[in-house]
Parts: sequence; structure tokens; C-alpha cells
Amino acid sequence: MGVQQDIREKGLIGAVATQADSVFTRITAGIDAGEFRRMLQGDPPGRPNPRLKPHAESFLLHIKPTYYHESVTRFTHTFRLGLLSTYLFIVETITGILLMIWYAPTPERAYPDMILLLTNIPFGQFLRDMHRLGAEAMVAIVTLHMVRCYLTGSYKPPRQFTWFTGVLLLVFTLFLSFSGYLLPWDQLAFWAVTIGTSMAEAVPPAVVGEVVNLLARGAPDIGANGLMRFYLLHVLFLPLLLVLFFFVHYYKVVHFGISLPADEEEVGEDTANRVPADKRVYYLPDVFVDEMSFMTVITTLLILLTVFFFQAPLEHIANPQSTPLHTVAPWYFYWLQGLLKIADKFIAGVLLPGVLLVLLMAIPYLDYNPSRRGKDRKVAIVAGIVAGTVMIILSWMGTPEYAVQGAPSVEIVQDVMPEEGSGISREIGYKHLPLGVWRTDEEYDVHDHEFNELLHEFYEAVDFYRRTDPDFNAPVGQVTITQDQPGLKKLKWEIFWFDAQGTEGTYEKSFWLHEESIYWEQYGWKHLFFGYVADGWSSMSGALAGE
Amino acid sequence: MHRLYTRSPIAKVMWGILSSLIGIIVLLLVLVSENARMADQTTNWQGRSVENGAKLFDSNCATCHGPNGQGLLGRAPGLNSYYFFTPTGRLADVGWVGSLEDYVRLTIAAGRPSKTDSQWPEVMPTWAGQFGGPLRGDQVEDLTLYVMNWQESALAQTPEEDPFQPYDDVLKPIEFQNTAFLFLSDDEQTAALEEYKARSIRAPEELWQSEACFACHNLAVRQEDEPGQNGPNLADLFERAGSRVDGMTAEEYVYQSIVDPAAFVVLTYENVGQMPQNFAEKLSEVEIQGLVEWLLDPDRDEEQEISE
Repeated sequence: MGVQQDIREKGLIGAVATQADSVFTRITAGIDAGEFRRMLQGDPPGRPNPRLKPHAESFLLHIKPTYYHESVTRFTHTFRLGLLSTYLFIVETITGILLMIWYAPTPERAYPDMILLLTNIPFGQFLRDMHRLGAEAMVAIVTLHMVRCYLTGSYKPPRQFTWFTGVLLLVFTLFLSFSGYLLPWDQLAFWAVTIGTSMAEAVPPAVVGEVVNLLARGAPDIGANGLMRFYLLHVLFLPLLLVLFFFVHYYKVVHFGISLPADEEEVGEDTANRVPADKRVYYLPDVFVDEMSFMTVITTLLILLTVFFFQAPLEHIANPQSTPLHTVAPWYFYWLQGLLKIADKFIAGVLLPGVLLVLLMAIPYLDYNPSRRGKDRKVAIVAGIVAGTVMIILSWMGTPEYAVQGAPSVEIVQDVMPEEGSGISREIGYKHLPLGVWRTDEEYDVHDHEFNELLHEFYEAVDFYRRTDPDFNAPVGQVTITQDQPGLKKLKWEIFWFDAQGTEGTYEKSFWLHEESIYWEQYGWKHLFFGYVADGWSSMSGALAGE
Repeated sequence: MHRLYTRSPIAKVMWGILSSLIGIIVLLLVLVSENARMADQTTNWQGRSVENGAKLFDSNCATCHGPNGQGLLGRAPGLNSYYFFTPTGRLADVGWVGSLEDYVRLTIAAGRPSKTDSQWPEVMPTWAGQFGGPLRGDQVEDLTLYVMNWQESALAQTPEEDPFQPYDDVLKPIEFQNTAFLFLSDDEQTAALEEYKARSIRAPEELWQSEACFACHNLAVRQEDEPGQNGPNLADLFERAGSRVDGMTAEEYVYQSIVDPAAFVVLTYENVGQMPQNFAEKLSEVEIQGLVEWLLDPDRDEEQEISE
């Protein structure tokens, strides 16, 4: 129908309205303006339901079911954890691709690129922080998603394979997060990954272990080759695997439907295809609006956390020659580190995790209990809770608090001024460190609250080990603060003590602190943010007034 | 039909709009703050670089250049120095056209070539991995920033405070010194040469310092807990020198040890490192004789204490 003819028949306004409506319908893949208005007003759909059309017409919607069972749309049933996992993967992909612009995976450039990102790229720090936060959140959410499905028995027939692919996705998520760990090429990254890959060495027989380790690291030690391998794993191989298995997983979710609450569904029932008409909640508009608003709120939450609370750590540049005092794996591998402390490398690093993984994947095929109700699944629930508790205890054992204390003198200095991170000395900063010699066995009349706190903590740390370690008697701590250069102070920490035999011991360690260093900003609430906003605001208004 | 859904779509849309507004406002705040944040981060990471450099300097450089960069007489020049940081000073003397920072960076990375004939007997080694040294590129960078961080205190020095002392640190012929001699007028050059000749026989104590004997040898009796040095302790040389080599008197033995150190090495020091071989060329005969006499003098310590 030609435009002129259209105008002749309907008049100008009518013709424009028709055109506009058809454009609208094309954009919404089948919903015209009138139907859209009725959706907003909350009117029920007509018959046949015109709101199903987009599911047939649009690619993005054809993968979504046209309706859900009312019971599964309740927030407290799924907590939207699957959707949230997927959404976080998308966030990671977007921020990750942007971060790739300023990153080169070589030992010479990786760390300087991190600093360049922080110092010279607008939103660079924001992107990095969000990527890191998203990664850690994704590990947590995927795990919670699994816990939810376990507790509601959702893995039972017909959804066994859905669970199986879900476990694979959890493994990929862990490896994705872990492979990204190395990329900043700082001490944290280098040593966490060195520990991680060294577990592969324990695979028997020794030849295989060595080869696996060599394949991961690209050389006997992690270097340029290892970094390139982890980079490719992180940006290409693992994401592709994850996407592939995500589609398998999601297809199964749609195919069998989300499991109903245990009371409403018998095991083996194909609920997705048998939802009574009065229980159907159509995707358009209800679930769609729900998911969109949910993701918007999550996005804002992520932004707020990133801007105000979270900062991705960046320690000193990777140094293969110097092992940090307390090397730790990422928190989601603490349990593995805990295991390694009580069992040997093969059992704790290979055998147990392997058995655990196989067991996890095999749960739906091993559990013959035909009921999903909590009261019929006491063994499974208790086993799950015990397993969770064991994981938490193992994780606690994986932290440096458990059984890896160094010598008291080393720990004291690590406490007040650690090699990495801030510690109270760097938290109070350059301007609160008066020059002089300060000892723990003397009282000082210093009119600096922050420095007094440091002296107090120093005293407490020395006193703690005096009380708990019989080989650490009559200890004295001393810090000598000197002006090494303009704007650079040197803090020489010294500990003197007597061991049980009465032999005197001394320990000495020096650190430097620059006036402009802002270590303390790295942890917790970002204090400087509003100052930056005020600075930016005044310079902007100044520039505007200048014109 | 009962309401299947707990909240109306409109309420959810409102939540969505509200939270996207908050998100956008926060992102705008970030946008406004970015310049100030980046400036702060720049100085922050430079500061940390200086801190790393300080640690490296302390463990690698301070033994020769002094813990505060004041230099060690006869070993390595001071870096916390007015002369070093003034463009018409060190850079002009060595004929460097680039910036001081590049000069420092190059010297750390590649060492100092043709050092054997200068006033500093120790050779500056190559430090960067690319030239066979032990440091990575980022460490050379950190060290450079640390050395350059002396600028403020160095430029505040008076000439007397300046530890560099390019004129007086060693008495070799002035025309070979790479300092400002050539910029003097003819009369001044003559006067300087006269002064040089007048001073040209150096006292043993002075040689002990300027030739850096003290770096490897000790004149005081070694204490129980004192670490060993690279060369034999010379406190009791007068007792032992005569019996070291058969057929040599104490004087002959010490003389030989100075002009030809490799001729006889005390057993325990065979693997420690060699004494420089060029003292025969650097010192005059009179000076060597004076040094031998001084080293063998049993009352040397007392004389020194009196002179101090």
C-alpha cells in the first residue's frame, strides 16, 4: 500500500499513526502500541494471546518460555540466582572486553598496564574494580545457585543432566575466575597461581603431573609463556566452554521447566509442559518486567558497591625471587589450601577434589530417593549441611590464621607494617609518623592520636607474643623513623628478645613510606571519592566561568 | 481469577527507573571525579615506585654510594649532590645532552664504561637484565625515580655541603680529571697545577682513604663478632709480614703486596677477590714507600689517635 493512498484514505494524522504503530510493532517484534498500553495497564491478554508473537518472531525471546508456573516466579523460590549468574557473566564479558583494550599479556607490560589503567584511563579503575567484584560475586552466586538446587532437590528426574551441566558450569566459573587471577602480574597473582598450578604436579604418575604442570605454566616456572596461556584460557577458551555449556544447561532448564516447590511437584513429572491455565504467568509482560527491573537494580547495586566500597587489590609487581610471608589462594580455594595443610599434595590436591567433583556431578544418579520434600530427605539435607560446614571449616583452615604462624618477631612487624597491603602504619600514613626512635617499653607524650594508636598496636602485638610464646621473653620493639629523602620516610622496625635459653635475638626490617602513597584507600570505604567529586566540580565550574 | 503476581508491573518499572537514575547519577559523579582521582593515583604509584627504589638502593647501591647517597670517598660518587643535580654540573662535565633522569637510568642499566682511569677505583656494574645485570626493567625504573627524588635536598645544598667533590677526592693529574679544569683560564690552570704538584706526595693516611684500602682491609684489631672482610686485617701486619714469604723482609713483602698483589695471596683470601693490580701506576715510588713504612709501624694507631 503506497503512502499517498494511505494518506488519501486515513488522512495525514491517521496515516502517520499507522506508520508509527507498524514501526513500533516491528521493534517489539509483534506487540502493537495498543497491546503495549494494555500490558502496562495490567489488562489480561486476549484470546488467542497476542503477547506470544514476540517469542516466535524475535531471536532473543524465542529462547525464553512463553509462560512460567506461578509458583516458580516467587522470588523466594529461586532467588533469581540462575538469572543473576548469567547476568554477571554478561557484566564480566563487557567489562572484560573493555579492559582488554589496555592490557598486554607479557610480564614486561602486564603490571605497568595495570598502573596505566589506574592512573591514566578515565573509568579505568571503575572497570577493573567492577570486573573483579563481578568475578567474585559470580563464584559466590553460582555456588549459592547450586546450594539452592540441592536443598530443594531440583536435581531429581527429569533434571539430572541439568544438574550435571550446572556442576560443569561451576567448575568453569571457578577456573575462569582463577585464570583471571594471574593477569595483573602482581605478587598476589603470581604466588596464588604458582600454588594452584603446583597442585597439578601431584597428579600421578610423576611424569604426567610434570607434563600437566608444564602445560599450564608453559615452563618450569610461571613466566611469559604461563601468562600468555592463562590469558588465552581466561579470555577465549574458558568463556567459550562456559557459553557452550550454558546453552546446554539453559536448554534443559527451558525444556523441563524450573522445578516447582517440592510440595507441588512429584519427581519425574514434566511440569513445564503441563501448567494449568490458571497458574500460568506469561513472560510478556510480567516476567519480562520482573527480570528487567531485577537486573537494573542489581546493576545499580554493583555500581554502588564498586564506586564506594570495593577496590581490586594490586600488590607489588610479581617477584619470583621473593615469596610473600602469607601466600593465599583466592577465597573460593581456601578449602583446598586447608586440605593441603592436613593431607599430602596428591590426596588433598588431586584425589579428594577429583572425588568430590565426580560425586557432585553424580548426585542425581546416586540419589534414588523419589521424594523432593524436605521431611523425606533428611539424610541428603544433613549430608549437605555437614558438607557445607566441613567446607567452611576447611576454608578457615586455609587462611593464614591457621597453623602457619612465622616467628613472633616476623609476625609482629607483619602486623603493624605488612609487606603487602596497608597495615596500621600505612593506614595512618606519612604525616602521622613523627621522626625519632620509639620503643614499646617506654611511654611517650605524643599529641598525635593516630600515631599513639600505632604505638599501642605495636605494644599489643609484642605483648601478645610475649604471653603466648615461651621462646619470646622480655621482648622490646623499636621503630626508628628517619627522613630518608624529601617526602620519603624510612621506618626501621627492630625486635629484641631472649629465647628460653636466655640467648638474645634480634630482628630487623625496614620499610619506606612516601608522602603521596595512598595505601589506606585500598581497603573498605573509599574515603577520597567525595573529595575527587568536589575537585572535579570546582574545576569544571571554573572552566565554565572562565569562558 | 486471583492476582498471580505479588507486585504490579508498574511498581517494578518504577523500581527499575529509580535504580537506573541512581546508577546514572553515581556514574556521573565518577565521571566528574576521574581527573582528580587519576592525578592522585599517578602520584600514588610514583610514590610507591620511590619506595621500591629505596629498598633496592638500600640493598644494592648504599654500600658504595652511601646510605643517604652521600657517596663514599674513593668508592663511588655522591648522588645527593648539588653538583650532580645542576645542569651545568655533572651533565655538562660528562657531555651528556639528555636529561639527568635519562643519564641516571642509563648509568644504572648499563653501568659506567671506561671507568678504570677515572677518580673512582670501583667500576659501576651493569644492573639491567638486558645488559647482563640482576635487575628487571621496572626495578631500574624504581631506582631511577628514587635517585631523582634527591633533587630537592641536593639543590638546597651549599658547595661546602656538596658531597660530590669532583676536584679534591683524588689526586691524579688534573688534566685527566673529567671536571671543570678545562673551563679555567690559563692563569688559573697554572695555579691549579702548581697546587697539584705541591700536594702531589700524599700521606699514607690519605692514600688509605682515597685508594679505598679501607674497603677491604681493616687497621683495627678485629672484634670477635665482627664480620670478615675481603682482605686481610692489617692491625698486626708488623708482626707477620716478615715471615710470610721465605727470603723476604717485612718491607719487601709489603712493597710487593702493593705493586704486585697477585705474587702472593694469603691462603684464606684466595677465593675472595683480587686486590687492584694498578697501584704501581697510580702511586709514586715515594708514596708507596711511605705507605709501606706506615703499614708496618707498630705505633700507627697511637699516632693516628693523636693526629685525630
